[in-house]
Amino acid sequence: MIEAINLKKSFAKPGAGKKEQPVLAVSDVSFTATDGQVTGLLGPNGAGKSTTLRMLATLIKPDEGSASIDGFDVVSDVLAVRQQLGFMPHNAGIYPRLTARENINYYAKLCGLSRNDAKQRVDALLEQLDMHGFADRRSAGFSQGQRTKVALARALVHRPQTLMLDEPTNGLDVMATRGLREIIRDLARQGHCVLFSSHIMQEVSALCDHIAVISNGRIAIADSLSGIKDRTGEDDLEDAFVRAIGETP
Amino acid sequence: MRFFAVMIKEIIDNLRDRQTVFYALLFGPVLLPLLLGGSIILSLKQLSIDFDEVLPLAVVNAESAPNLMEFLYSNNIDIETAPENPEKAVRDGEVPLVLKVMPGFNDAIRAARPAPVTLLVNEGDKASAKQTRRVRTLLQGYERTINALRLQHRGINPDIFNSLEISTEDTSLDGAGGQLLASLLPFLLIISMVMGGFYLAIDTTAGERERQSLEPLLGLPLKRQSLVLGKFGATMCFVGLSGMLTSLSVFILFQFFPTDIIGGGLNFDASTITKAFLVASPLVAFISAVLITVSAFTRSSKEAQTYLGVLMAIPMAPFFILQFISIRSELFTMPVPMLSQYQLLERIVLADDTPALFIILSVLGTLICAGLLLGLAIKLYSRDRILM
Repeated sequence: MIEAINLKKSFAKPGAGKKEQPVLAVSDVSFTATDGQVTGLLGPNGAGKSTTLRMLATLIKPDEGSASIDGFDVVSDVLAVRQQLGFMPHNAGIYPRLTARENINYYAKLCGLSRNDAKQRVDALLEQLDMHGFADRRSAGFSQGQRTKVALARALVHRPQTLMLDEPTNGLDVMATRGLREIIRDLARQGHCVLFSSHIMQEVSALCDHIAVISNGRIAIADSLSGIKDRTGEDDLEDAFVRAIGETP
Repeated sequence: MRFFAVMIKEIIDNLRDRQTVFYALLFGPVLLPLLLGGSIILSLKQLSIDFDEVLPLAVVNAESAPNLMEFLYSNNIDIETAPENPEKAVRDGEVPLVLKVMPGFNDAIRAARPAPVTLLVNEGDKASAKQTRRVRTLLQGYERTINALRLQHRGINPDIFNSLEISTEDTSLDGAGGQLLASLLPFLLIISMVMGGFYLAIDTTAGERERQSLEPLLGLPLKRQSLVLGKFGATMCFVGLSGMLTSLSVFILFQFFPTDIIGGGLNFDASTITKAFLVASPLVAFISAVLITVSAFTRSSKEAQTYLGVLMAIPMAPFFILQFISIRSELFTMPVPMLSQYQLLERIVLADDTPALFIILSVLGTLICAGLLLGLAIKLYSRDRILM
């Protein structure tokens, strides 16, 4: 379960002098993602999706507002939040000189799993994500789909209740995307809370039970797919999205 | 103990990287000592003259000066007939030098006048210059003998012309080449330690950002300091291993040094090298901390390489500075990392006494600097900006 309340974050421009105004990346983000559901964070590039996810993942501190993961505050209870949360960032890199299995096992160890527990968990994930074909190959030559699976397995290795995926389908082909969607639906069915960010409408509408539309650093609308269509009076999610962010379709 | 997992992973990961392994295990420990030590041995060999070595010497008109030839022969010079055109032969390097006994040599000797001989040499050629010095020394010896005979013949004590008796005594234990050779050990050791950890430190910090594997790593339920300590530990392993292997190879290299070249006062035996490595070992922590901290500032491997490349001048600085101005090892230079190790290691190799206080100050100063840098690295990793 994720709860974000009035999150705000601004950054100094890289290389900018001290007098320059900082860039407001997220101005007002509030939404809730519940267990057993896939929640989509939908927004155009630069809307503040990644910054929001980074704040929820305790990687950066919000300037204002608050957020909690399964009841733990993202500023004051950092380690507890990370224990609850599996986070797969945008373009997450894996270690090219390690095999898929070693990559996942490394994260298991870092999360404090014992040797035996880690081995079992890694085997289970290799099975669950259908990775046996390339489990013991070095990752240097992996396809984007294989890399995404390794990164996803890594994020799941410590059995987190809540999962955040930042544009996970980037660079995946149709079949790999469908496979990933199936995995995400499975995870939600098992009772996990899944937050999924994307700028692709079809993907969000095909997968998500609940959608939060983010634009210019604020949540424009947050509801179920049908709720958003009703409230904007548009039949098509794309038109609804355009109307929600304040433009005319 | 999660830092241990980070350390083990970074070591395994980097052992699979050819570049890192080459610099840690081959460049510092093998290539550098061979290149530097080898060239120093060669140049010392070129400078020193071995009077026992038999030297062939081409002589023009040897038959006119049988006594001189006898004298040269008794001083390990083999007389050979000179080539047709001796000037050209020397210039072309066919023979290193030619001694020309000039016409009228015998008459001049008999008449007690200066007897003319000419040395054809090639000053541009090091071998020729070295042999010239040897032959000239012998000729001067012959001249002194003739002078003494001439004076005795006239009833004069030859010592009357020796108004000064100059004797020099080299009080340094090592001789001229010794200081340079003594500074070779700290130089090699420090450079190869830096090179040993260089690529691993870059790969585990700046490389991690570049591969975009840092963000998921920082999101894991572990403290940032475990992460930094793990990377620091892995770097220490490579730096330490590099240092140890270099000590070993310096030890082996000096087994092949003839003692008359090294000078009797220099010690390169097993116990000296072990002591030197132990005294230098706090640098393992210091160098690793410098490498980790500097590359934590940078955004990419390329940037890290640039910064650290400039930083490489720092470990070399004491070597060059100490060649020009001798900074005496004093209490106040001992807490300075690198400089103190240079001075201590030189003293150890030269078998000068090294006060325990010096060693304690050097260890403490170096470890405190390493600790401060490590603290800075942990701080850098705790900032939001590490991800920007």
